[in-house]
Amino acid sequence: MGFILNPLYNIVSGVMVFFHNVFSPIFGADSGVTWSLSIMGLVVLIRIILIPLFVKQIKSQRALTALQPQMKAIQNKYKDDRQKQSEEMMKLYKEHKTNPLASCFPILAQAPIFFALFTVLNGIAAKTDAGVPAPIARGFLKGEYLESAAQAKFFGAKISESFLGTDLLSVKIVTVILILFMSATTFTTQKQLMTKGMPKMDSSNNMMLQQQKIMLYLFPLIFAISGVNFPVGVLIYWSTTNLWTWGQQFYVIKRNPTPGSPAYEELQRKRSHKAKLEGKEIEGVEGSPAPEAPKVEGQRQQPKKAKKKKK
Amino acid sequence: MKRIADIFIKAYQAFSSTREAKCKYYPSCSNYAAVAIRRYGLKGLAMASWRLLRCNPWSHGGVDYVDYELDSADALASMRSTMVSDNSNNRKMKEGVL
Repeated sequence: MGFILNPLYNIVSGVMVFFHNVFSPIFGADSGVTWSLSIMGLVVLIRIILIPLFVKQIKSQRALTALQPQMKAIQNKYKDDRQKQSEEMMKLYKEHKTNPLASCFPILAQAPIFFALFTVLNGIAAKTDAGVPAPIARGFLKGEYLESAAQAKFFGAKISESFLGTDLLSVKIVTVILILFMSATTFTTQKQLMTKGMPKMDSSNNMMLQQQKIMLYLFPLIFAISGVNFPVGVLIYWSTTNLWTWGQQFYVIKRNPTPGSPAYEELQRKRSHKAKLEGKEIEGVEGSPAPEAPKVEGQRQQPKKAKKKKK
Repeated sequence: MKRIADIFIKAYQAFSSTREAKCKYYPSCSNYAAVAIRRYGLKGLAMASWRLLRCNPWSHGGVDYVDYELDSADALASMRSTMVSDNSNNRKMKEGVL
């Protein structure tokens, strides 16, 4: 495993040391702020690298609005066979070379990074059996950096301490607050997606809906249970990731919602309302079937629709 | 080993069900992996890894079964009509739907 993990330790610790050096002149080399920011910097860097993928996905989702009639037709044609329905939907995406879904690899590729960070931070927090701190160096986080990181504090709690590994009240309070924050952001992100971000499910998806509801409450609980074992540094990383995910999703749901979702309908209503206020005529409404009518966007969408009809 | 892999995949699926749907393929990578590993063991693991690598931002996705002639909707439909065995049929259906 070492040959896979060592490069990852180097990347994670290298980024942390880099951000540490960037923030040191401002907050001081041994300041907890510097070390906390270097952990957050790692999150922000990973997420920024992933932004182009995210933009690509949004673009294909927008392109999807043009395929709505075909998608509806497939849904109706195979409404009794969900597997066939999914197959045909995927074929449609492939045919038009626009897949609204992200892809699995970039998501799973983040997992080893998280694992590496966990190991690096746990290394800082390592203790001997007698309870004497004995930090383990991994990657570039060694020597004076390691000493400094082991002493760094986040709101009065050492980033290397965990809830169960300490008797200090300050550490317990900080970890509890971070765990609550993590659980709350996860919960609101999921809730927001379920109530607004996803196309409404029909009754055939009841089981899935039920499962999602269970998960909605289960995951904050899992965080609370596992979080007491994690050093403050890992909790900072986790909280920052969650906050970013939430913010990103909030933006998408407001500005680029998935077609068919409640948020999408809301946005369409707002847009058509705005278009009316500005005195623009919405063309082509008379040609489309009645339930489609409120979905007509501003003028931007029209060329696509006209093209479809000519075919 | 197969059971361990299955537990990991189930756990991942439980977690990812709370997130936005991600996979570009049908069936999803995790579902593909579960079927492939159950059916082919180590070779299945290699198949699943290859599928995961293909599920990247530059691919277009599509329909991709472990064994098209066993798992596709058409195959299942014809199997249902001939009623080979209720038991395996049910299992297949579960694999397909999950």
